[in-house]
Amino acid sequence: MAKLEAVVEIGSTGVRLLIAEIASADNWTIIDRSELPIAMGRDVFTSGTVSRETLMQCLHILKRFREQLAGWGINQNDATVIGTSAMREARNRDMIIDRINVKTGFKVHVIDGIEENRLMYIAVIQALQKEEPKLKKFNSIIMEVGGGSTEIMLLKRGKMAAVHSIRLGTVIIEQHVKAMMGSEKDTRRLLEEYIKNTGGSLNEELKLDRVHQFIAIGSEAHLVARTIGKKISEHCWKMPRSAFDSFVEKIQTYSIEECIAQFKIPYSDAEAMSIGLLAYKLFISLTNTEEVIVPDTSIREGVIISKISEPNHLLREEFYSQVVASALNLGKKYHIDEAHGSYVRTVALQLFDQLRYELGLDRYSRLLLEIAALLHDVGMFIRTSDHNLHSQYIIGHSDVFGLNKDDMVIISNVARYHRGEMPTISDSNFYGLPRADRTLVLKLASILRIADALDRSHSQRVTDFEIDLRGETLLLRTKGTHDMTLEKLALAEKANLFEDIFGYKIILV
Amino acid sequence: MSKEKPPRFFNRELSWIEFNARVLAEACRKNVPLLERLKFLTIVTSNFDEFFMVRVAGLKHQMRSDPERRDISGMTSKEQLQKISDRVHELIQIQYSCLNNEIIPGLAKEGIVYVPPEKYTGKQALYADSLFQNEIFPLLTPLRTDDEEDFPHIANLRLHAAFLLKQMFDIPLLTQTVSGENGNASEADGENESSLPLAVVQIPTSIKRIIWLPSDEGTRAFTLLDDIVRMFGTRLFPGYTVEETLLFKVTRDADFSVDEERDNDFIEAMEEVLVNRQSSVPVRLASNSESETIRHILERKLNLAPEDVYQIKGIMDLATLTDLISVEGCDKLRYPQWKNFWPPSIPHDVELWNEMKHTDAILHVPYESYEPVLRFISEAADDPGVLAIKITLYRTSGNSPIISALERAARNGKQVTAFVELKARFDEKQNISWAERLEKAGVIVVHGIARLKVHAKILLVVRREQTGIYRYVHLSTGNYNEKTARFYGDLSLFTCNQEIANDATVFFNMISGYSAIQTMKRLVMAPITLKSQLLSLIERESRRSTPDTPGLIMAKMNSLGHGEMIEALYQASCADVRILLNVRGICMLVPGVPGQSKNISVVSIIDRFLEHARIFYFQNGGSEEIYLSSADWMPRNLDRRVELMFPVLQEDLFRRIKDILSVYFSDNAKSHYLQSSGTWIARRVLDPEPEVRAQEYLYTQAKTQAEAQNTEIPREFIVRRNEK
Repeated sequence: MAKLEAVVEIGSTGVRLLIAEIASADNWTIIDRSELPIAMGRDVFTSGTVSRETLMQCLHILKRFREQLAGWGINQNDATVIGTSAMREARNRDMIIDRINVKTGFKVHVIDGIEENRLMYIAVIQALQKEEPKLKKFNSIIMEVGGGSTEIMLLKRGKMAAVHSIRLGTVIIEQHVKAMMGSEKDTRRLLEEYIKNTGGSLNEELKLDRVHQFIAIGSEAHLVARTIGKKISEHCWKMPRSAFDSFVEKIQTYSIEECIAQFKIPYSDAEAMSIGLLAYKLFISLTNTEEVIVPDTSIREGVIISKISEPNHLLREEFYSQVVASALNLGKKYHIDEAHGSYVRTVALQLFDQLRYELGLDRYSRLLLEIAALLHDVGMFIRTSDHNLHSQYIIGHSDVFGLNKDDMVIISNVARYHRGEMPTISDSNFYGLPRADRTLVLKLASILRIADALDRSHSQRVTDFEIDLRGETLLLRTKGTHDMTLEKLALAEKANLFEDIFGYKIILV
Repeated sequence: MSKEKPPRFFNRELSWIEFNARVLAEACRKNVPLLERLKFLTIVTSNFDEFFMVRVAGLKHQMRSDPERRDISGMTSKEQLQKISDRVHELIQIQYSCLNNEIIPGLAKEGIVYVPPEKYTGKQALYADSLFQNEIFPLLTPLRTDDEEDFPHIANLRLHAAFLLKQMFDIPLLTQTVSGENGNASEADGENESSLPLAVVQIPTSIKRIIWLPSDEGTRAFTLLDDIVRMFGTRLFPGYTVEETLLFKVTRDADFSVDEERDNDFIEAMEEVLVNRQSSVPVRLASNSESETIRHILERKLNLAPEDVYQIKGIMDLATLTDLISVEGCDKLRYPQWKNFWPPSIPHDVELWNEMKHTDAILHVPYESYEPVLRFISEAADDPGVLAIKITLYRTSGNSPIISALERAARNGKQVTAFVELKARFDEKQNISWAERLEKAGVIVVHGIARLKVHAKILLVVRREQTGIYRYVHLSTGNYNEKTARFYGDLSLFTCNQEIANDATVFFNMISGYSAIQTMKRLVMAPITLKSQLLSLIERESRRSTPDTPGLIMAKMNSLGHGEMIEALYQASCADVRILLNVRGICMLVPGVPGQSKNISVVSIIDRFLEHARIFYFQNGGSEEIYLSSADWMPRNLDRRVELMFPVLQEDLFRRIKDILSVYFSDNAKSHYLQSSGTWIARRVLDPEPEVRAQEYLYTQAKTQAEAQNTEIPREFIVRRNEK
């Protein structure tokens, strides 16, 4: 029997609901949607907290949604409720989440910016299914300007080159300009400066003038698409860049009232429209794209896909390869020794695969290990001594596509312990983690240490080896003849963690 | 009319009066059965009652608040009121000459005789006397009006009798009895215009107005309750003689607006309005012609001008003569009964679900039975798979099977959302009580949207089935009211179309507070996009029209009065688009004017059934489109109400609706054509053309199809067994 999935998103400018009927993992249809405006972004981006009025409003909306869900026979406990940028930044978010839970029964899950990116990416890929070959051919940007943040993904021939969640949003800009008693000209200047600077740093990761495809999502872009775009498939519009640009310029001369009358949109949307569209236009001007593609999708569709498509192996692997590509790009930015990194990654994964019955870890942990292996030396960029500490800092403060903050903390800890002392009670970064995560960090770090030891010389001499588990010993048999003195020495120094955890003695022969 | 240039727009009120004139014309047709003619006469009266309560009252307000304002046709409220009064006086003259010279004598010939008190036989007088004494007298409450400050309240639209009294000299004390504690009554008398006291009695509504008198074999004689009160009224005032008597009826302002700011207490605010309505300003006085003196007093006391007074020569208040129309045993004086038929496209004896899933169906009432809609709601209420039922109820009766099905559904644990429009002008009182009943049963009752009336008619049923969730949508041009479905001509569509179902869901989200405005794919909603969509459809027709292949627009509606829509039609006419309009009531468009509307013709059909469906057809360069809608092309519908327009997509249904729409334009029996002068001319059957009567054609067609269905040899057997 068909299943229903419901997603509620508490955003900066509105609370939105989506209900989909799931026939199978790749066959689902949206059967209900609604949205009501809320000023959460305005509250949070000016005062830092969600006001009482907004909370009441939010509860009121969620009660309505609960009733709406009941009309489909859906219990509110079965709905996925996510909070995005405004909720994320609200200082009183824990109390807000609790109030919502107590009064409405909804459990809010606040997602971080990079998670938003991931959800958006899978939604876009699904909507662009037919366009995908083209996505692989050109460099593209996927972008959504929201109320409190802007999500950007740079794709180099279909591979994730970089992802960012930047603190640029229609509500933020609007509040900023209002606070300065600024005019429209000020809005424009502010946006131009911000986007020019952001563009500069993006250029490091992917040459923007080589971007030939611009994919815009979000309600503002959607409105433009509906008005002037050409429908190229069920969920996708396209329009020439020039048409997009001139439309945006025309909108800039409209008053809010004119926007409402012309496009039949609610007041709150009209307020955000001109700023949001201008942001798209300014980003587009940094690229060399000829057309703008607008898929009719959102983070909410992403949540649904991510909920239902877990078992799809191929899609998952495709997605993980994007995560790895993004991590590699991060490594490049810090000039890592790529040969060493990818060698350690290969060895670590080999160890992981051969030991998987011993480890009791899932596929996702393998991905975390892979990223940690690639990036474990990233701290060398700062200084060789204590580079594991620098690695921890850099990883902990960077974005990798598809990984959320919790993931990044685990990876940074794994990198931290790829060499040196065992964790002590004084390491709050480590002991601050939940027990399960601490165990995970130790298991992954123990493997990483062995893999790293096998390339102590950074010359990738041991190219092939076998793992042989005998009683209490783990034999690493290398093929061919090499001088293994250095590696043996390193192993003696670094295998301790592995031996402590798994109880095996490691012998390199 | 003089030879002056035709106007760009007709005045709305005068155009409406011409509609009532066409109803009157139907009453004057000699080939219409006698009691049907009487029925049209009663409709004319009740139409005027409503018109004065709402429109004239509104104009009077405007005359006080904004006297300079001119309407789209260039008239001030004062000019309009004058013309209204002139024309209504004329029409009432015609109405009563028809009643007195044709209908009453005609009925007498058929053995139904009206006997006024002056002509009672001894036996009849005795009967009337005892009836008055035993049943009527206890119900009467006479009120004296001699106190200038405290003129008694005259209830809206109720028939009253007024008596001018004269005191008998030898019984001085009775003054006090009549006027209660008021000992100054006699002094007050002196200040009156007439020195005689005036008393007013409301004619009771709890007794039937038609009173059958004993009569000779073979005839039936009737008199009226007000006749008896008038005759024996003297007995109400012992110690007085009745010098003069007058029957009268006052029409009051009913155009109240609710204070929308008090949104949370909407019901309370509505209840206040209902109370206020009883005591609102009088706008018209209608009376018989028996006493000039009393009429003058009333005119002055009610603060009315001479043009607001309508003198009637004959039976007062025809609106309450309905009992006479349905009198037993006179079937030949009525139209032969037109049965309604079960629609052939809807399966008769299986549940509607499966059939609807595969094909859309159209229901055309009253030619077809309304039963499928009732059955559909009832089945939904009891079906275990149904999750939710959502419906808009605009004017529905409290004892409607729809209401009880909804109650039952809610008690069965389904989510039921009923959108109850409390502002449907004259029905609020009953709406409020059944809205409470629904709420008690657990129905989510939504009481309206601030500043907008919800006029769309839509029903959505969500059902969980083996293969998934299905949504069944019913969209209609008429209200969910099984009573009016027996005499209002309306079209409705049953569909499972995914896009329409999505839109229906979104629509209910918007009107029940789940969502801000969203875009829809198939349904078009006022006041958001309906007007602009219609304008662009008309504009597209102009664009595609060439002198060689002219465009074609056919549209049927109740009223046409939206300035922008009319201008768009003018432009289309100038672009050679042929425009055939079928407008039952108000039409402010001026047709047939060169350089403006040469290619537009306007027909109006008044017959047995009230034309109520809105159908819009666009030729669109060969790729034709048809829409049905709840909306007229009036400012209130397109700009201030929540309305829906929906396309008919399925080919066979499309053809059928196009046929229905087209047949009205060949009607030559019940149609009037609008002239550029503003007059309407009845179309006649020209030799050798056959008579075409649209409603009869539609009836015969429904009948033939239903009969064909019944005699058809089944091509497959529908086996009833439970699927595993």
